[in-house]
Amino acid sequence: MAERPEDLNLPNAVITRIIKEALPDGVNISKEARSAISRAASVFVLYATSCANNFAMKGKRKTLNAGDVLSAMEEMEFQRFIAPLKESLEVYRREQKGKKEARKDKDKKADSEEQDKSREDDNDDDDERMEDEEQNDEEEVDN
Amino acid sequence: MPHPCRHSRPGWMWLWAAWAGAPVQERQRAVGEDAGGAAPCAGSGRAARLPLSRVKALVKADPDVGLASQEAVFVLARAAELFVETIAKDAFVYAQQGKRKTLQRKDLDNAIEAVDEFAFLEGEFRFLPVFFP
Repeated sequence: MAERPEDLNLPNAVITRIIKEALPDGVNISKEARSAISRAASVFVLYATSCANNFAMKGKRKTLNAGDVLSAMEEMEFQRFIAPLKESLEVYRREQKGKKEARKDKDKKADSEEQDKSREDDNDDDDERMEDEEQNDEEEVDN
Repeated sequence: MPHPCRHSRPGWMWLWAAWAGAPVQERQRAVGEDAGGAAPCAGSGRAARLPLSRVKALVKADPDVGLASQEAVFVLARAAELFVETIAKDAFVYAQQGKRKTLQRKDLDNAIEAVDEFAFLEGEFRFLPVFFP
């Protein structure tokens, strides 16, 4: 997988949109400020990942789960994010479940093959197939 | 990706330092208008969504981290969105104080200095070579 520094940027358009939606109408943002916020967001993700990883390691798991990320938010003193994150996660889970049902109807054979796949697979190549991971359904949300 | 000698710094800090050292043009060229990627529409549909693929790239960039579940990546992406909202709002307070309608870099700097939760951005954010002995 590419580990070039460029890949660590988050898309400008999305960052700008989030900023604009957060601020009152008519407010502009300088290119420098936008760029700085984007970099800050990347650092935030890196930092949160590292924190979350500590929780996963404490739980003797090799795979970060949603609960680890929520625990990280607490650790990083972003407790106010936890409630909205839990809410979003619930919606996300429902949507993923809906997608799964739809897929099952379409192709049952492919699904059963996916379920046989090892869930603690350390093979990085599997990471990109995010939609196929099914371990999420059983995951508890800690905290 | 350079492999600096590892002291007690967490992996992500090395990563950030290495990335921060890249020339500005490089970073700007790389940032496309790509708002696509595997971004499911979740939560309140009104807010923009960061593509999970990019967030995943950040997660994988940390050498200390193993795998991350799809849900973990989603929550990280969503948290990053909340973070952007939060820091933008906090910075805007300073623009208002300066009677400006344009958010500027200095507003960010002020917010980072003032808000405890943003302490992790200090230092690194200014690309100081603090990670090299």
